[in-house]
Amino acid sequence: MAELIGSLLVLAGAVFHLSAGLGLLRMPDAYTRMQAGTKASTLGNTLVLGGIGFFHPDWTLKLLLVIYFVLMTNPISSHALARAAHRIQVPMGRQTTVDALRQACEKSRGGA
Amino acid sequence: MIRRAAIVLVLALFGLVFATLTVHHVERHSLPPLGKRYVELVPQELGAANVITGILLTYRAFDTLGEIAVLFMVAAGVGLVLGRREGRRQDLPRAAPQPPRPASEIVRTGAQILVPLIAIFAAYIIVNGHLSAGGGFQGGAVVASSAVLLLLADPRQRLDQQFLSSTESAAGVLFVLVGVAGAIFAGGFLDNRLLPLGQFGSLFSAGAMPMLSVLLGVKVGCELSVIIDRFRS
Repeated sequence: MAELIGSLLVLAGAVFHLSAGLGLLRMPDAYTRMQAGTKASTLGNTLVLGGIGFFHPDWTLKLLLVIYFVLMTNPISSHALARAAHRIQVPMGRQTTVDALRQACEKSRGGA
Repeated sequence: MIRRAAIVLVLALFGLVFATLTVHHVERHSLPPLGKRYVELVPQELGAANVITGILLTYRAFDTLGEIAVLFMVAAGVGLVLGRREGRRQDLPRAAPQPPRPASEIVRTGAQILVPLIAIFAAYIIVNGHLSAGGGFQGGAVVASSAVLLLLADPRQRLDQQFLSSTESAAGVLFVLVGVAGAIFAGGFLDNRLLPLGQFGSLFSAGAMPMLSVLLGVKVGCELSVIIDRFRS
């Protein structure tokens, strides 16, 4: 039973990883691609590692540490990359109409 | 169209290569004679649970010393090349480069949380070198990765190159001194039976191996940090 749950979790994680890969190929611009890659792969990693935890209950603590590390690093690194892309003005997709970061920057500059 | 066909062809060739690799792969059920001897000797003679580190830090320790020397030369070469370019840049009157923008609050906070975590992990890898997978080189690389994170979180920060260089040199000298002590008091240069072997599998066991591992980790960590710091400018 535990192995079945573990396998299903790993499978679900793999599906999320697949969607991350598809997102990298299909999304229109750098920011949305980054978002697809980060969000889906963070959840996919968590699910796969959780699934492994069902197979090897004695690894639970180590797996929790790995999950914590991935949850800490993945969003931060994509945040830094996206800000760097915004800084060098990587163009956005045509459908994107709102640039909240630029508005915030202009606002703070105007206020100062 | 031709491009697509070429991609498909390349993929098919790759598939063929990997298929032949997997078809002809036969899993070994016994070790080759040399490997068998090492697997028997390392736990018995040296008291190290991790056979690979046992080999690297005793039987092949001279090789390891050579590898450290290569890394040292890489650091020196990088310093020579990049340091000179910096000097030339000062000669030419150029527009002052933009001062590096401070990283966002999220990155800084993340670095504050992650750097200690990475440092603890590096220390674990280094001191457990003779027990589980890991050792000085791997741990040193992890130390350097925490230095990268520090520099990314605060680009204006300067690493103390003087301190790093002298620590690294001291670790190297101590490594050689331990080796010479092994030649005098035990079986040969870098022999780990200089210190008592201790209980098999405990943290302080395998003679001088943990000490050599720590020295290696300090040296590699400092060296890689210096290289990274030099590449920044």
